Amino acid sequence: MSDKDHSSADDQALVRSAQKGDMGAFEELVARHRDKIYARALSMMRNEEEAVDLSQEAWVKGWQRLAQFQGEASFGTWMTRIVINLCLDQLRKHKRQRTESIEAMDEDSGGVERQMPVITVNPTAGLERTELRQRIDKALAKLSYEHRTVLVLHEFEEMEYKEIAKTMECSIGTVMSRLFYARRKMAAILADLRKEEGS
Amino acid sequence: MNFETQLKLQAYLDGELPESEAREVAKWLAHDQEVVLLLGELRNTRQAIAGFEAGVRLPESREFYWSKIDRAIGQLERPQPVAQKRPLFFRLQRFLAPVSGALALAVILGITLLNGNTGTTLGETELASEDMGAITFRSESEGMTTVWLYNRGDSEFTDDPAPDSVELQ
Repeated sequence: MSDKDHSSADDQALVRSAQKGDMGAFEELVARHRDKIYARALSMMRNEEEAVDLSQEAWVKGWQRLAQFQGEASFGTWMTRIVINLCLDQLRKHKRQRTESIEAMDEDSGGVERQMPVITVNPTAGLERTELRQRIDKALAKLSYEHRTVLVLHEFEEMEYKEIAKTMECSIGTVMSRLFYARRKMAAILADLRKEEGS
Repeated sequence: MNFETQLKLQAYLDGELPESEAREVAKWLAHDQEVVLLLGELRNTRQAIAGFEAGVRLPESREFYWSKIDRAIGQLERPQPVAQKRPLFFRLQRFLAPVSGALALAVILGITLLNGNTGTTLGETELASEDMGAITFRSESEGMTTVWLYNRGDSEFTDDPAPDSVELQ
């Protein structure tokens, strides 16, 4: 398959060629999905350099496992799951390396979010796309990795509670409470950012 | 509102409740303003982050990003020396090497002990039987062993070898 053919071929055809050892086809697949794979790694890791490295590692793993890809999900989804698992492994390593903060333990056991007053005014209403992205970025960075991961898997990966529980090796109840705290904390952080802007 | 109710409300928003429970939550929403406000907050947060990843772009060029992946794949695919099929002799060699080493050590020890037991000087061994006399001499420098056989009746010990002496190399 020539370069011209690669750019005009659909993902399925490229995967079939790549499975036969066509590196050009695999390069085209990387070019098509690299932003999405990187974005997912960045959402989870909150570190550009680490996200680039992990996304590249995911592509190498993808190449190694290409023979196992049966096409049940789309190629993009399949690759996203690979990068998610790599990020989870990395985050678990980080967690083992550092002492868990009191704040993180408080969040896991219920924390202050349960009693927090409801944010009645939408803190992101009227914001431009770039500004909204910056604020979400700041807010995501303030979440513990468990809360951020649940949020990412639910909102971006559109996983159901059961699937998240399996991926994160925890109970469905834990997924539900983590997701609830993550959302409430996000709302509080976004409201604070709105106040800071107003003051 | 207790925690169970809050989680049920969230599950309602995420479409994770069975129909009967979803109807129950709908009833709460019709009568409880607090429930309505919390649902609004959860929904706003969900909508705010929905498109977050869409604008993220990789901060590296296509070529540079691909080159690292290509290199890593290339390294993976280099033939592994361990996986190569080798002849049986070479595969057995790793097991035979220590055995032959141990055998060599045993031979050296045996020779040393044998030399020690006869009590002769290094390089010379005397073997005697009732009828025949035998003297062996080993030259380490020349790698040669000489055995003299003689009749005890003719001589107890002599420097002149008997005519039937045998030389071994």
